[in-house]
Amino acid sequence: MKQEFTLEIVSDNNFSILNRIVNVLNRRRVRIKKLIAHENHDDFTRGSAILLVYTTADLMEKVKHQLEKLIEVEHANYYEGNAQYYALNEKNNRQVA
Amino acid sequence: MGALLTKTESKAQSEVQTAKKISGSEVLLRSLIAENVKTIFGYPGGAIMPVYDALYHFQKELDHILVRHEQGAIHAAQGFARVSGKPGVVFATSGPGATNLVTGLADALIDSTPIVCITGQVFAHLLGTDAFQETDVVNTTIPVTKWNVQVTEAKDIAPAVAKAFYIATTGRPGPVLIDITKNAQNELIEESEYRQCKSVRTYKPTPVLQYDQVEAAAELINNAKRPYLLVGQGVLLSEASKELLAFVEKTGIPVASTLLGLGAFPADHPNYVGFLGMHGNYGPNINTNECDVLIGLGMRFDDRVTGNVNKYAKQAKIIHIDIDKAEINKVVKADVAIHADAREALHALIGYCKPNKHEAWLQSFHKLNQVEYEKVTHRELNHPKDDLKMGEVINHLSRFTNGEAIVVTDVGQHQMTTSRYYKYKRPRTNVTSGGAGTMGFALPAAMGAKLAVPEKEVVAVIGDGGFQMTLQELGTIMQYEIPVKVMVLNNSFLGMVRQWQQLFHEKRYSATEMVNPNFIKIAEAYSIPAIKVERREDLQPAIQKMLDAKTPFFVEVVVGKEDNVFPMVPAGACVSDCLLEPPTPNP
Repeated sequence: MKQEFTLEIVSDNNFSILNRIVNVLNRRRVRIKKLIAHENHDDFTRGSAILLVYTTADLMEKVKHQLEKLIEVEHANYYEGNAQYYALNEKNNRQVA
Repeated sequence: MGALLTKTESKAQSEVQTAKKISGSEVLLRSLIAENVKTIFGYPGGAIMPVYDALYHFQKELDHILVRHEQGAIHAAQGFARVSGKPGVVFATSGPGATNLVTGLADALIDSTPIVCITGQVFAHLLGTDAFQETDVVNTTIPVTKWNVQVTEAKDIAPAVAKAFYIATTGRPGPVLIDITKNAQNELIEESEYRQCKSVRTYKPTPVLQYDQVEAAAELINNAKRPYLLVGQGVLLSEASKELLAFVEKTGIPVASTLLGLGAFPADHPNYVGFLGMHGNYGPNINTNECDVLIGLGMRFDDRVTGNVNKYAKQAKIIHIDIDKAEINKVVKADVAIHADAREALHALIGYCKPNKHEAWLQSFHKLNQVEYEKVTHRELNHPKDDLKMGEVINHLSRFTNGEAIVVTDVGQHQMTTSRYYKYKRPRTNVTSGGAGTMGFALPAAMGAKLAVPEKEVVAVIGDGGFQMTLQELGTIMQYEIPVKVMVLNNSFLGMVRQWQQLFHEKRYSATEMVNPNFIKIAEAYSIPAIKVERREDLQPAIQKMLDAKTPFFVEVVVGKEDNVFPMVPAGACVSDCLLEPPTPNP
């Protein structure tokens, strides 16, 4: 059964990295409801992407491992529901401010 | 921001001296030499011309093989890498030169082959302007590479090369691509010492062996009544054949091989039970659903192996050992998962496993294989009145070479037939396109393999369809006098598709019949001696003549037009429903 997950990806920041991340999701036809991507405020060579996706738990686990195969991705974690999406977004906004 | 987003570092005063300046192209070539590259397969063009100009002065250090199509270059690099274990290196120009690499990149990615491709690109200020021969190579090749990068400044070339080689050759190997703009190739920078890449912060290619999982696996194995080991290419990539042999001889477990694992375990060993999968041997397929412990070692449970995954080994406990974490639990659920290099895992596992024998279980495989021999193999090898059979051709080739040649196959019926009838004994002697099934792979891959290991016999076995996809590489073979042997099994059909049309589409042969040219005249036009075999009595002398030749040699064997490859597990069927003959139509 499909449900919302918050996917948090921590990676290097460089040209085409966001494209690589989204490609993995597109290939598996995972629906992306919302997406935020940003450079780290104190180190522009690193960044994060936070996505609100809609998929099954089984596929979420498989996609996590496929994302972590991307060379520039440090880790990919996911949480059930959307609460963590808004919490992580808020945390990033406070850091930037 | 620079070409890559990097922090600038200040130079120590002592480094600010007048040092020799060299071009980015020369930096590239020196970096490749530092990575022990000797052979490059390539095709020049406008956007990579500075590199080729610099290459002119490195002819002693680097052998550049001019191919006839960039796809030939990358398949040749794959053949080179498969037999040697070293990364294959490819040069291509921008635009269509780079896009011609895409098929080979996809092939190398799915089959875990280390390749480093260097593509020329237009000047950096022209990027995104639809310039002549400009293509967005990085975004085009993201889905078909393990990693890629675009370099727009000469200072980034050496670090990109170092990182590329590290990524291509570690963990699960794969293809990488470096796209270098023309200004970066021309730019002069100070010469500096090349530094190999030893780590990448975000990339962890070497798993840490979890001993609790090894113990759990050993407990299952020690208590198993019908254990069964499936080996894949991971054993070859890990160079774990010796450890595998020791493990099998200690535990007495029957061993079957995937397509890309052929050669990892000697085919003449008593514990070897055959090739598994869609056209694999009967015993290995049937007994998948009879075993109580199934061990997948360096294999990924591809759909050609599992058939209907909902009916695959449901009765068994599954142990999956693989270096790629994303493969574990991707297709089948593992009861025990060991995320590890195959050799390291075997080395640990053998210590925990008890000596054992499973004679009755092993004999069950041989009994099933005997059924296959009577219904399929015997007919394939002993039918004096019929047209020449693909199986008998390969059987003779296997006998003549003692199962020790490097055999490079293309894709289709001949490929499955070779996998069944050629008795591979040694690692890195089977070269084929597995996951992608790329027709046209074999001819260039065979020439690449021969250049990697010139002392070994290399035979390409190709169908009439696949041969015509890359036959332009006969030109490369002619120019460099590469003594590779080429056997085309000609049935005037796209045979595997025709077989499916016969079995599943009521013989509606839609666009599969081929009217072929005179292959002998084509080979001779490339100054390659050639023989056509149409009669059984000419077959063995032709094979002998081919193997005796010190030059390239071409043999065309005319085989039965509508012969089929059995056994077969139809797509979507259960491995237990392995067919030994065409299904009987419903009345």
